[in-house]
Amino acid sequence: MIAVRNIRLCTKDCLCLFVCPTGATNTDNGQIDPDRCLAACRACVDACPSGAISKVPLNYPPQQPKLPGTLQAMNQLLDSRLAQERAADAMLAQAQTAIQRQFAQAMKMSLRVVAEDVLRESGYMLPQGQPARAFLNSLLDSPQPAGFPREAVERLLALLG
Amino acid sequence: MSVYICTVCGYDYDEAAGDPRHGIPPGTRWEDVPADWVCPVCGADKSMFENQGGKAETPAPAPMAAPAGQAAPQQGADAKRLSATASNLARAVQKQHRAGMADLFTQLADFFDGQSSPAGDWQTAADLLKEDLAGRYPAAFAAARADGDRGALRALNWGEKVGKIQANLLKRYNKEGDAAFEGSAFFVCEACGFIFVGEQAPEICPVCKVPRFKFARVGRGASA
Repeated sequence: MIAVRNIRLCTKDCLCLFVCPTGATNTDNGQIDPDRCLAACRACVDACPSGAISKVPLNYPPQQPKLPGTLQAMNQLLDSRLAQERAADAMLAQAQTAIQRQFAQAMKMSLRVVAEDVLRESGYMLPQGQPARAFLNSLLDSPQPAGFPREAVERLLALLG
Repeated sequence: MSVYICTVCGYDYDEAAGDPRHGIPPGTRWEDVPADWVCPVCGADKSMFENQGGKAETPAPAPMAAPAGQAAPQQGADAKRLSATASNLARAVQKQHRAGMADLFTQLADFFDGQSSPAGDWQTAADLLKEDLAGRYPAAFAAARADGDRGALRALNWGEKVGKIQANLLKRYNKEGDAAFEGSAFFVCEACGFIFVGEQAPEICPVCKVPRFKFARVGRGASA
């Protein structure tokens, strides 16, 4: 577990600085240093008067299982939503006016959020989960176009442990 | 006097109360509300309202049968899917405060987005979206209900509402062109994808209820 600070809630009462036994809370970027934060300590969480600090785990339980009927239906939706995103890409590339550009950009962003949500509920909620690891491994196991960031994938798999 | 409910955000139009802030006096019957009136909360048009109590005139369409066997995805489509898978995981690690991993997943998402070829136009998108709302969403709702999958039902609920708004914007744009959005800005909810067109994002998202700061403003420039 690592302590994280929500900057939107922090009221700079600095109790976290007073109680931290390792100095992890004393940083210049507003975040708590995960390398110094002690897994079992929650002194800053309890001391913070604005409830701005929480402890976030490094390990997560597996996502609730997904059944084939739902997965298939979600998959068809995903294909359609992503085809719509490709249409938005085309409209963005062809945009002549500021409004055309903004509309295409807004649609692209919106369609991507929807597609990500479908994927999240198709087994890809957690990077630590089996589907996400299988996704990364399959990228390494199959031929990829030039410029494929292989090192990024290898590093992700190493970080996921 | 009847009440009509917005199927996107749940706002209720009460004929007895009207919408005086937008020029609709109390006592205005639904059929007398002008066709260009939109939901004051989320911007949905009149066609997205249904009569409280009775389901709207149009009966729910029968879920579309799922086609047997998936065709092999095209190169461009495949790259999009890989990109979305990676960008979704980037969001997840961001929420877990694993900043290093977020950058790597984003790098991967950007690479595959660059590999996917743009295809189609607004008509393509509108046609697919129409099929989604008529067939793919109802079919997926039915499957998720049968499986007791609450997570999927939640995602479908948001996605369908956002789909209705997207369809609405495409319809307006098709009819009026740039004039439809003159003088407005676009705000996209980063949690559910809801698009708000106006001067300022709503205080809370009408679809997923996150606060205003979760909306991304689409800039005037080339990118967000």
